[in-house]
Amino acid sequence: MLAVLALLCAAVELVAGRGMSPGVVWDVLGGGGDATERHILLQLRLPRLLVALGAGACLAVAGLVLQSALRNPLAGPEVTGVTPGAVLGAVTATALGLAGWESPLAVVLAACVGGCAGAALLWLLAGRGRGDAAQTAVHGVLVSAVLGGLTAMVLLVEPGELGSVVQWLVGTTEGRVWQHWHLLWPWALVWGAAAWLLAGPLTLLRCGDDIALAAGLSARRARTLALLCAVALTAGAVAAVGALGFVGLLVPHLAVAVFGADLRAGLPGAALLGAVVVCGADAAAQLSSRLLAGALDSERLTLPVGALTACLGAALLLVVVRRTPSRTF
Amino acid sequence: MVALLAVSSVCALSLGTPYVPPHRLVGALLDGDTTLAGIVVTELRVPRLVLALLAGACLGAAGLVLQEALRNPLAVPEMLGVSSGAALGVAAPLVLTLSLPAAVQPLPALGGAALGGGLTLLAAGLGRSPSAVLLTGAAVAAALQAALLVLMVMADQLDLQLIYRYLLGSLSARTWDDVAGLWPWLLVAAPALVLCAPVLSVMRLGDEDAEALGVRAQRARLAALAIAVVLIAPVTAVCGPVAWVGFLAPHLARWFNLGAGAVRWLSWSVVWGAVVVTAADVPARLALAPVETPVGAWTALLGVPAGVALMRSGGRGRARRATADAAAVHTAPQTVPSGSVSGAPRPEAPDHTRGGRDTGGGTAPVPGEPTGTEDAR
Repeated sequence: MLAVLALLCAAVELVAGRGMSPGVVWDVLGGGGDATERHILLQLRLPRLLVALGAGACLAVAGLVLQSALRNPLAGPEVTGVTPGAVLGAVTATALGLAGWESPLAVVLAACVGGCAGAALLWLLAGRGRGDAAQTAVHGVLVSAVLGGLTAMVLLVEPGELGSVVQWLVGTTEGRVWQHWHLLWPWALVWGAAAWLLAGPLTLLRCGDDIALAAGLSARRARTLALLCAVALTAGAVAAVGALGFVGLLVPHLAVAVFGADLRAGLPGAALLGAVVVCGADAAAQLSSRLLAGALDSERLTLPVGALTACLGAALLLVVVRRTPSRTF
Repeated sequence: MVALLAVSSVCALSLGTPYVPPHRLVGALLDGDTTLAGIVVTELRVPRLVLALLAGACLGAAGLVLQEALRNPLAVPEMLGVSSGAALGVAAPLVLTLSLPAAVQPLPALGGAALGGGLTLLAAGLGRSPSAVLLTGAAVAAALQAALLVLMVMADQLDLQLIYRYLLGSLSARTWDDVAGLWPWLLVAAPALVLCAPVLSVMRLGDEDAEALGVRAQRARLAALAIAVVLIAPVTAVCGPVAWVGFLAPHLARWFNLGAGAVRWLSWSVVWGAVVVTAADVPARLALAPVETPVGAWTALLGVPAGVALMRSGGRGRARRATADAAAVHTAPQTVPSGSVSGAPRPEAPDHTRGGRDTGGGTAPVPGEPTGTEDAR
């Protein structure tokens, strides 16, 4: 069912761009088509599709791991300072000339460092992982605000970067090529596998520290490892597509609802769901920007996928907050 | 306090190129446009200073109103979607190249701010717990921010820098015209503020007690939001959302006047807001000398950590002081084992309409009670 959905989304994504009919796409995939069409499809659309899938999967898994490890339904990468930290790291590295957008490896590393820093900051501020969910979330929002301010400062010092960075602050899959994909998939695979190996301990952690301890699990160590995984996955995704809003916060909720609380099934499920969501959102973004461009008669208008996920995610978050009245978030 | 204000004002007037020593300031002011120093001071620095003072005062007052009305030390314009809404309202005509006459310039900002704040309150439900309101606000703010970024993607390079600088809140190159645009709005907002101050102090008691005293809590909350919007929008229209002043100023006001009530905090918060913005504008102008940095970046960087620190230390100090009397009165029925450990969902967090009476930064965050927003440990 989900796999069918994923295929459907992927197909729509391939067709959604400008001026290519489904028939042509099918032709090219079968080996036909003329040179331009082949180039567009194989060099531009396909890597974009793959990057969207991979980034979505990364973010969703990271979110689920974070939520389980911190036992906090609101702990997405965005509200724990991981994503803003990663953005800050990447932007700073670029501004200092240590990395360029054309060499994604250095950006990934910088984003990773930044993400870790963001998570550490929150950990210090929120009293080392104790405390209740809402408090941690609120502190996370504050940490994110500070990191966002720092990013703004860096951007002011280097105004030349602004144009390329803005797209990336909201998260977009425009212009992603095979190079990004080649960098993303090993990273995602390694850390995703690590996260999956941690699924058992994480399921225990979900039940609370005492139960985990009683079952003979060192809660601290498991949590640290899990957080490391989550940060690395987020950093990889952020370096690939930018700060895609809310995917990491809401897909895990969906995944738990669909696959149940056993993370051995939940983690791959979340990955699949995340891929579907981002891919579908990207397809929708492309379609709607095409429609909008037609309606407004301006070629400059392209809707980045991050805008769409942020709006969808915000709406869903409202639903989540509203639908749990008994719980004081 | 007054000295602090005076020092930062004098600094704002005299530092920079050309440097006008303080003792010659009066002379320069009286010279008017006959000398270079006179022109610089009267035409550039004084309006800027006035603008900084006004903006700070408005933001400080708005912050306090919001915090008191929602009984939540974290209810600030930035986290309720008010600021991002206003910013969106200002940026949209800029990007879409609609030209507006100066008189109606605050209107899009006002509309945006009202939209953001209204959306948040609507979505959160008026009576919900403070942190639900906050998280909803964060969601709304994020969505508005995304819309803003879409606009920025559409803008071209030159516009982009202008907008970005504006979005951080900047006082550079503001003249008397901009200051003049603020007056009508202030004339509306000031009486409203005075009127709502006593209601605010009643609101702090909690919804039920306030209702018992004849205040309609929901309506009062809406009114408070409206006042905050009217205060924030014109400032945002002129100099951008100077970030987190509305967070820092009320906390400073409370921290220095622990025992006072909402009415006195309001006036202090106005003054502190003015001081914060004026003081932050000096490094903003001078830190990277020929290039100006936006003042909002400074207030954000310093304001958030300082505010959090104040909130925590204030909470702790007050808790210690008040445990003797207050805790004995209202902890007993409310204490909940915090950090519950079993796999079962945590026992119901305390009912915020009652337990939340302390979260307004008021008297005594009860130790061990997860108020959801204030660190009570």
